[in-house]
Amino acid sequence: MITLQNISKSYKDQTAVDNLNLNVDSGEILGLLGANGAGKSTTINMILGLIKPDSGKITVHDIDVDKSPEYSRQFIGYIPENVNLYNYLTGIENLNYFCLLAGLKYSKPELQDILETCGLDKDSHHRKISTYSKGMRQKVGIAIAYAKKAKVLLLDEPASGLDPLASNELSVLLKQLASNGTSILMASHDIFRVREVCNRIGILKQGRLVKTLNSNDVSANELESLYLQYMKN
Amino acid sequence: MKRIIINEWRLLYRNKTQFGIMCGFMIVVIVAIFLSHKQYNVQYDSFNSAKNELRAQWENIDAMNPHSAAHYGTYVFKPANLLTHLDEGVNSITGNVLRVEGHVQNEMVHSEASQMMFTSKFGKLKASLIFQYIIPLLLIFSAFASVYSEKQNDRLKLIVLQGISPNRIMFSKALAIWLYSNILLIITLLVYLIFSTSNLSSDLLLRLVLFFVSYSLYYFIIIGLTIFLSARINKTAIALTSMIGIWMLWTVFIPSMVLSSVEDWHPLPSRNAFKSAMSEDRSKGIDGHNPSDERGKALETKVLSEYGVDSLSQLPINFDGIRMQEDEEYGNLVWDKHFGNLNDILQDQKNTVQYFGIINPFTSLQNASIGLAGSDNLHHQMFLRQVEDYRRVFIKALNDEHAYGGSKTGDWGWKANNDFFKSVADFDYQPIMFKTVLKHYLLDICLLILWTGIVIVLIIFGTNKIAMT
Repeated sequence: MITLQNISKSYKDQTAVDNLNLNVDSGEILGLLGANGAGKSTTINMILGLIKPDSGKITVHDIDVDKSPEYSRQFIGYIPENVNLYNYLTGIENLNYFCLLAGLKYSKPELQDILETCGLDKDSHHRKISTYSKGMRQKVGIAIAYAKKAKVLLLDEPASGLDPLASNELSVLLKQLASNGTSILMASHDIFRVREVCNRIGILKQGRLVKTLNSNDVSANELESLYLQYMKN
Repeated sequence: MKRIIINEWRLLYRNKTQFGIMCGFMIVVIVAIFLSHKQYNVQYDSFNSAKNELRAQWENIDAMNPHSAAHYGTYVFKPANLLTHLDEGVNSITGNVLRVEGHVQNEMVHSEASQMMFTSKFGKLKASLIFQYIIPLLLIFSAFASVYSEKQNDRLKLIVLQGISPNRIMFSKALAIWLYSNILLIITLLVYLIFSTSNLSSDLLLRLVLFFVSYSLYYFIIIGLTIFLSARINKTAIALTSMIGIWMLWTVFIPSMVLSSVEDWHPLPSRNAFKSAMSEDRSKGIDGHNPSDERGKALETKVLSEYGVDSLSQLPINFDGIRMQEDEEYGNLVWDKHFGNLNDILQDQKNTVQYFGIINPFTSLQNASIGLAGSDNLHHQMFLRQVEDYRRVFIKALNDEHAYGGSKTGDWGWKANNDFFKSVADFDYQPIMFKTVLKHYLLDICLLILWTGIVIVLIIFGTNKIAMT
């Protein structure tokens, strides 16, 4: 579960996030839509405890991020736009390494199971990451979070640059994780993908959450119109 | 920490470019050591054969006037230290052969500070060039690339999210690259040991261990500082440029500054001024070749009264030998006085150069390196001292033979026999022991340790809160 209460963050004279209140329940996927500079990445970095908000409180899995950033990170999985893994290691070696860093020891079959669960077929496990497509790297990134049994998953533009098939596979995977109780916050530009994957959608403009709605309540076209309307005003 | 170190090593091994560069460096270092070793062997053989030949010539002198033999003189050789394969130091300019003869003493010709410049000249493929300049550059690029690759595209975030603090990541990286540099050093030193098995001694091994420790500490300083700057500075170009700038400051600009400052603060007399002062003082003594010299006359009176005779012709001994020895001893006092002063200046220069290690660990490394390799000014001065001591014993033996060997005053045609020449001991160089070297270079080692401590503190406290967004 993620909770943001009255979060604000400014850089010099520029407001990045303005009195933001958010809540992502267990098993819920919240999509944050917004233009570049709307405050999506800043919000994610604040939840990760890498940027300190000027005011407000963030909790992850009921842990105050400001007070215990390192502890709260134990429950967070993070997928950036480009999951930059070690090119000279294979998929399974990358997964194993990140697991070991987190103090998790998995056997080789267990690692293979995790990769398969996250949509990577067996043939790819022993190939170097440099041969992976962007979608496959995203899956390894998700496998790292999955192996960590992350309660919260944060995704920053995860579908950017993915082909439709890979994007669709990612959607399926995220829904699977949410069905297991993971709270997912996804920042994106992709209105259609957000509409398809998320339970709820928030529209951010200049650091402010200008609209929240259930994805079931709007069609993709309606969402697009609404989004454009907010962006123009 | 262990995981990160193992991973760094695995990446290094699998990165064909980096692995290739490492292998290339190893080959170059081994070739450099092999060439130095070959040169050492050639030098050792030619020294030995020249030494034996000269000794044989000396021992084969059938009959000769001892004073003529004193002018005939002999040569002594500074045995090359085995470690000079690794750092040639000042040996390339001081030379290793000295002539020993009557009336003529050898000089120390260059300053303590200038030894830093001899070792910093590029050009010849030397192990020290690779150890002191090339490997540190390779380490700077490796350390920078290691941090840069993590900072790039949020991978550092992914690692931090696994529960590792940034300073632990950075410290582990520093350790990983440092261990890699140590492997380079160890392989090099092992190759060196393989070449040198026949001449190994405990003293040499102790020097080698401290030689390794000095370089190992310096490499950690270089790696740690690069890691610190790369982690702290967000703009990659600035981070790399800053470290290269520091490296240049340490290796090029500060040594030049040290050279000019130290020579200004503790100036050595010019060779001409020094020689003039020596000659002036020497002229106040007895002229061994001039019977009408006033001080010579006083000595003559003294000797005549000791033997209770009125004239030199009545003496049972050859007064010329006594007068020449007296001249030598006065000359020795003059030499001791002037070279004592020179030694004091050189010692002051050495101390000042060593204190520059506070701002430049490269200075400490260079000092320790040539000191442990036995190719520094200290070893050269100690060699000169031993040669001078030998020269005094050698000339005294010849003058005494001239005086008491059976000839009379003025009998310049008298000749000592072969047995006498055989009895004059050959020069026997006593190597400088490790303990003495350690005493002189402990400050440099301590400064390298201090710098290492500073760098560890910088990494631990300075990289915990680095920007990752």
